[in-house]
Parts: sequence; C-alpha cells; structure tokens
Amino acid sequence: MSAEPSCHTEPARPSGRTPLEGALTIALAGRPNSGKSSLYNVLTGGDAHVGNYPGITVEILEGNVTLPSGANAIVADLPGFYSVEATVDAATDEGIARAFLEAMKQSGRALVVVQVLDPTRLALGLRLTAELLRAKLPLVVVLTHGDVLTREGHTVDVAALSDAIGAPVVLVNARDVATKAVVLAAVEDHRREGSEAQGSGRLDAARIAKAVVKDVGSATELRRRRMTERLDSVLLHPLVGPVLFVGIMALLFAAVFLIADPASNLMDRLVGLARAWLASAFGKNLVTSFIADGLLGGAGTVLAFMPQIVILTVALELLEASGYLARGAFLVDRLLRLLGLSGRSFLPLLMGHACAVPAIAATRIVRDPRERLTTILVLPLMTCSARLPTYGLVLATFFGHRSALFRAFIFVGLYFAGILTALVASWVLRRTATKGKGLPLVLEIPSYRVPQPRVVLRKAGQAARRFLRDVGTVIVAVAAVLWVLLTVPMPGSTAAPGIERSVAASVGRAIEPATRPAGFDWRINVGLIGSFGAREVMVGTMGVIFGVENAADDPAPLTTRLRETRRPDGSPVYTTRTGLALLAFFVLACQCMSTIAAIKRETGSWRWPAFVMAYTYALAYVAAVLVYQVSAVFGIV
Amino acid sequence: MMLADAHDGLAVRITAIELEGEAAAWIGAVGLHEGEELVVLRRAVLGGPLHVRTGGGGEFAVAREVAGKIAVVPLDRSDEP
Repeated sequence: MSAEPSCHTEPARPSGRTPLEGALTIALAGRPNSGKSSLYNVLTGGDAHVGNYPGITVEILEGNVTLPSGANAIVADLPGFYSVEATVDAATDEGIARAFLEAMKQSGRALVVVQVLDPTRLALGLRLTAELLRAKLPLVVVLTHGDVLTREGHTVDVAALSDAIGAPVVLVNARDVATKAVVLAAVEDHRREGSEAQGSGRLDAARIAKAVVKDVGSATELRRRRMTERLDSVLLHPLVGPVLFVGIMALLFAAVFLIADPASNLMDRLVGLARAWLASAFGKNLVTSFIADGLLGGAGTVLAFMPQIVILTVALELLEASGYLARGAFLVDRLLRLLGLSGRSFLPLLMGHACAVPAIAATRIVRDPRERLTTILVLPLMTCSARLPTYGLVLATFFGHRSALFRAFIFVGLYFAGILTALVASWVLRRTATKGKGLPLVLEIPSYRVPQPRVVLRKAGQAARRFLRDVGTVIVAVAAVLWVLLTVPMPGSTAAPGIERSVAASVGRAIEPATRPAGFDWRINVGLIGSFGAREVMVGTMGVIFGVENAADDPAPLTTRLRETRRPDGSPVYTTRTGLALLAFFVLACQCMSTIAAIKRETGSWRWPAFVMAYTYALAYVAAVLVYQVSAVFGIV
Repeated sequence: MMLADAHDGLAVRITAIELEGEAAAWIGAVGLHEGEELVVLRRAVLGGPLHVRTGGGGEFAVAREVAGKIAVVPLDRSDEP
C-alpha cells in the first residue's frame, strides 16, 4: 500500500452543528465498480459479519469501526446499485438498497450514507447523489480512485463539487492506509454538524461534472485509453472475442476443479481417517455407524465441496474486478437471450457441468432476479461430475459389449440431453413460473483494473463461511436421515438381515408397481433412494445390495452381478432398456441434497428447492418410462 | 432514428426513451437518459448488444431491443470509437 497524502482533501462541508449521539451506522452506497468493496476493506480491515436489519432478507455485511472521537460505529456494505428511486423489482440491488435505507429511517437509528463515487465517471455517479439527497439522507461523498484520476491526467475541484451538491466531499485512494482516518473524520464531522444544510438534490450532474473535473493532460491517460481500446478490439472482436471467452471460461472451469480436486481428496482422506479411528476405538455398532457413515459422511461431503467454493469465488472475483466478466456477458448475451436468459447466466451454466453447488452461488453475478432464479432452477439439469460414476456403471453393465465409440456417443448424448433439457426448461420457465418484467439489458462495462488481493480473499472467506453455515447444516441433516432409511430395519420385515430389511428396501418394494413401467425393480429403487442425497452414492448402494465390496472403487464385479441377475423364468432382470431408462432418469433427476440446500440458501425459501425436486423427478420418471417403453417398440431388448 | 440503427463510430444524442416508466427510469439512473451523448463503439454478432460510450465517461452494453427504443439524433461530428 502506498501512502499518497495528495490523494486526500479536507472535506468541504455545510454549516450547522448538532451533538454526536448514539451508535452510528455508516452505510456504504454506490454504483457497481465504484470502489465500494475496497473502501469497506480499508475501513473495517476486512472484518465482516451479517447484520440484522428488519425487513431485509438478503445479507448485509457489516464491520465495526472506532470513530476519531472514540465512539463505535458500524459500517454496512450495501450491494452496488444505480438508483433508489427507480426500482424495477424488490429483489434487485436497487430494491434491497431502498429497503435498507427505509428500514434504517423507520428504526430511528443514527445513519450516515457514504456514497462511494468513481471520479473518473463523475457525471454517472452524481445522478445517484441527487437521489440520495432528495431522499433526505445524511450524505458524505467519497471520491475513490484518486490515484487513477491523477494517472488519467485529471484533477477534481473538491470544494467546488461540495458546494455544487451541498454535501461534504473527500477525495481518497482506497488503497491508502490514511483513507480510513479521512473518511471517518468526514463522517463524524457531518454527524456533528447535521444534515439540515444539505443540498436539495436538484442538480445537473453533467454540468457539475464538466465544471469540477479538469483535464490537465497526461500521456499515461492516452496510453491507458489506447490499451483499453486495443484490448477491447481483441476481447470484444465479433469472431475472436467469443472464441477467447469460451476458452477463458473453460480454463477457469477446469482450473477450479483441477486445483480443488487435490484439496477435496485431502478433506475426504481426513474424514476417512476419522471414520476409521472411530471404528477402531469404539468397535462397529449402530452408534459408531451412525456417527461415521451418517454424520461424518455428510460432513465429508461438505468439506469436499469447500475448496471448489473458495477457488470459484476467487476466480469470479478476479474476473469481475478486472472488468472482463461484463465483457463476456456482452459477447454471449444474444445467444442466451433467445432462451429468456442473458450473457451473465453463461458462466453459472458452464460451471454447472462440474458441480451445481458452486454454480448456484455463481448466479449472484446475474442482476435480474427473475433471470437469476431461472438459471438456478435449470442448473440441476446440467451434467455434473457426480453423474459420471453412475453413467460409467450403466454403460459398462449394459453396453460393455458395444464398441468404445458407441459408448462415447451415448456419453456425449447424455451431456447434450442435459443441456437441451435445461434450455427448453429455461424457455418454458420464463413463460410460466418466472414470467414477468425483467431488467432491460444495459450493462455497465467497467474500465480494466487490477483486482485487490485482500478484497478477493475476504470475499472467498465470506463465501466459505456462508456455505458451511447454510448448506453444510442441511447436508449433514439429510445424510443422517438417509443413514436411518438404509440401516434401520423395517418393523415386521421378514427379509434377510442387512439392507434388504431396511426401511429403504421396504419403500423400494412398495413403489415397485410405479417404477416397473420404467424397468426398475426394488433393488434399483433402493439405489435411487440411497442416491437421493448424492447421485454418486448409487454405485456404492447397489454394491451393498448385491453384496459386492468396494463397488464404488471397482464396479467391475457389480456390473457382472447385474448382468447375471435373472428372474425365476431365467430372463435377465436388467436389460439394455433398463440401462437406457436409468440413464434418462439420471440425466434429469436432481438427486443432490447439496444442490437443494444451495438453492434454499440462494432463494431464501423452501418453495423453489421443492419446485426443482418436483419438476426434475417428474421429468425423470416420465423420460425413464418413455425410454423403456419406446425402446421396446424399436426392438431393443 | 433509433440507437439500434446507428452505425459503429457514429456520435449521437438521445432525444427520447420509449420504454415504460420504471424501465426508462432505471436505464436513466444507469446513465442513458434524454440529452446524453453517445458514441457507438461496436456491436456483438448475431444481433447482440451495442457497446456505447457516453459523454459522462461510462461505457455500456445495450441490448438491441433496448437500443430499438432509444431515439437519437446524429451529432455534427462523427467521433472515432
């Protein structure tokens, strides 16, 4: 961090004084990319916890600070927004900001709004300033990117700007350590002096910007503009741009999972060691099985996802902060618009092919709430990596005698079936469940900037904590319930001891009449119940049913057992048609408690996870029955 | 003429935004409002968005259907993008 005192100015402020009283909330407000996150980091040192604001359903992060007088204050980090007057939807950042400010007004808590404003785009930011003044909010304007302004060869007359808008203004460089003292002093001064003398908010933003920003000429600025233009001419080129975008996204997607994989394996190994220790220390009994297979199994799933969440957040923050993400959205917008989505949905949809959980978190980059919800709802249809073990088992069992090319063809077909269904589902949802007015696509394309590591890491830490708290608890709970279903014997059952006598087996037999049209017997039903929480569990569960040890690691003996299973009349129980129906089911069903928990977290209710379960299972069942029945018509056995 | 019809490199001024109230207010807050001067920098392929630079220093991607509802008049000068 560099100390650049020249970046700071003493605030020009309106007259009048009132005594400082009560705990103060400093609400950081500003347009996206205005430098708000950097300023929050400087003010709070990265301290962040979720604030409790009545009427606000989304997380508002806040940190504690000490004002120059020694009094304590809270810094609340509002989402980036453009307006508090024009709110298209309550779930947009604009709606959230307005709800927060209204809630603060109603609560009577002491408040100062600090508007973070990028002076290199002053006229744009002053429109929000006018709105905040019209809302009679106590306002301090902080011009960030003071260093960038200087490099670009501009100066800003802070005193003239303060006079013109009627509110205190300070110019800072958010990377500078002195910034904290300057901003907090300005806030405390304004609180002491009162906001009665503030401007009315009737101001001509363009005229003021033209009057107060002076171009002092700079070769650096000329070079920067040329560099931006050169970069844009390549990155936004009609042909080269989309190819580079897909390449960069694929690289990011691969990197997230390649880097996360060893860390996930390590987490897995640690949980495995804990389970082994538990068994050796207390012996194998129902209680240790519940703790080891139920609770620790669930905890293992949570920890295995954690590296992906952290690395994905870092990658997304880097893309967003560098200014590239908005450019990517520009490139692919048209294609996704046909389906009721926009360019911003591309990255989550791509990520969904590895894992829906981080992809659902990644939908936060989609500003339009209806579009974001649609993306979340179709994400479970993407072919995630957890489907692969089951695809492998089914392909080896039912298509092992076919050529590798044939199996590869089916494999690719499964991927495209997921994509196609997701696109059709998106088209349908935008005309039904998520129908409604969306935000018109006017996407700000920010300047290229070097991301700040501290800000990026802070956001990654927050994402990890949120995941543990919101998703982790649900995963562990569902894992415990599944353990009970697969382990506890059904009262009165006369089946052989073990999984065949379990509650899950009884349920599997009970639903057999309904699943028979899809070619599924009770054993496959138990496998499906076992994989309700995580689809990759299907192979291991089938292994337990057929008495095959370690089927998840080596499925070959299991495939043999499945092929050789016969009915009393000698006909095979599982045929190619069963395999095809099973694949159709797995392509469509959302068998993933982590995904369900992630949807609950992102949508804030159980309504949408229930909707996803209902529509994906209904689609999966209908598709499995159709595939099983229609394949018979084509003479497949 | 409409913004969607402006060719790359053309400098224009917004004369009217023919979107309904809330949407017009929102894009106005974002930075596209009556009287604002723009330069069309480029457009994405297959009817994708326009990339414009405003007099206020901002750059935006504007969906073609939104650009079709923004009435503009060409300015005397034709800026380089």
